[in-house]
Amino acid sequence: MENSTIPISNLQLAFSVLLVLITGGISSFLRLGLLKSLVWGAVRTFVQLTLVGYALTWIFQIDSPAFIALIITVMCYIASRTASGRTPNVPGYPSAMAFAALMASTYIVGLIVTVLIISPQPWYSPRIVIPIFGMILGNSMNGIAISLDRLYGEARSRSAEIEAMLTFGATPWEAVRGSVREAVRAGMIPTINSLMVVGLVSLPGMMTGQILGGADPREAVRYQIVVMLMIATAVAIGCLMLVGLSYKKLFNSDGSLQPFVLQSRK
Amino acid sequence: MIFKFIDITFSIGTERELKNPLSGLVNPGEVLVVRGPSGSGKSTLLRVLSRLQTGSGGEAFLEDKSWSGIPGPVWRADVHYLAQKTALFDGTVAENLAKPFETRLTGGRRAFDPSGARELMEKLLLDNAMWDRDVRTLSGGEASRLAFVRSLAVDPRVLLLDEPTAALDERSREAFYLVLSRWVGQNGRAVLLVSHTEDYKQLSNSIRFLDIETRGGI
Repeated sequence: MENSTIPISNLQLAFSVLLVLITGGISSFLRLGLLKSLVWGAVRTFVQLTLVGYALTWIFQIDSPAFIALIITVMCYIASRTASGRTPNVPGYPSAMAFAALMASTYIVGLIVTVLIISPQPWYSPRIVIPIFGMILGNSMNGIAISLDRLYGEARSRSAEIEAMLTFGATPWEAVRGSVREAVRAGMIPTINSLMVVGLVSLPGMMTGQILGGADPREAVRYQIVVMLMIATAVAIGCLMLVGLSYKKLFNSDGSLQPFVLQSRK
Repeated sequence: MIFKFIDITFSIGTERELKNPLSGLVNPGEVLVVRGPSGSGKSTLLRVLSRLQTGSGGEAFLEDKSWSGIPGPVWRADVHYLAQKTALFDGTVAENLAKPFETRLTGGRRAFDPSGARELMEKLLLDNAMWDRDVRTLSGGEASRLAFVRSLAVDPRVLLLDEPTAALDERSREAFYLVLSRWVGQNGRAVLLVSHTEDYKQLSNSIRFLDIETRGGI
């Protein structure tokens, strides 16, 4: 059969340890000090993905939209913690806002894609919904983390101009409009760039996976087009929402800048 | 009386504190000069009075109306603070002068008057040829005078000036005080001025003083 998956046996999987040995060899030869992290990372990859494989097998048999929604909500929660946790310019950011932005962008775009475009039977079919929502989340998580970080960074470096606008009677929104624009732009640029070069520089992971799995490349490409566009939309919505929710945090109730914006980064 | 403040307090660091709460007033056409050693909170007082930051106590009044009854943006436009460190917006001189009028508040009150701004620039010895120059190419003295013109163009009721002549040479300093004297004398305006030097003696307006005293510290 030409169009079918070639399964990887246990023995074949074990051969991939060879790859780890090569990487480890480079690391110890150059004394990069990465050997321990590399081994630990490799072990985690094996264990986490094996467990996810079992979990997905189980989840794919579930026939309850409510439960699938719960799983997606948990995914959004984990993503929002990650997005707001790794932003050096934003100390102590409440991840509730990131959660709200991710929930909204993921559900809006995810539902359009699953219900309207792919429309599996039933429409909440977890085999489709979970990977699609997961891809949206993974990308918008990075997008909102970048734009959140940029918003705070911009506000800090432009605090004198923002205050000058305030002295002319500007509302907080009028005073930070420029920084908000920069922040949304920064969050969207990686996604826009990937729209430009997709298929030219690299084949996206999902498409590669489908082709290796035996799918017709022309079919795989159709899926990939939908995926690229949905990611771009989700990132745009997520960045806009989060930045729109967060800019007010830079100001106090009187509409002047919070002291932390005026101080050096700690 | 156009502007007064009563028992204003704020913190000026961990080791120092104000000896007394600060009170003062200015009548139309008057200048209140705020004096005190470096780090005594002169700038902070002006920032608190213009509501760019919140103090720990006290109240200010613009024409008998307490600041608690006036929204922040309206108050900040009327009791306008001009920072010691000049803050210009990216763009040309003309764009900087027009920028305040992009706000709904200031833009809603009046339109930008380019010829009035040019006239002021001339009086402050700023060459009109710099109208289309990128503000990043201006010298420190040019930039600070441009910011002053920009502040006058929005026509605040009370102008809070923080070391406005620090970057100016002798000649432009004289020009500055001449323009300021005339501005304060018209339309019931007033000025609060923080200054290290005694240059304010060049002002022809009636002058009051507020001395800030602190306790503790070095």
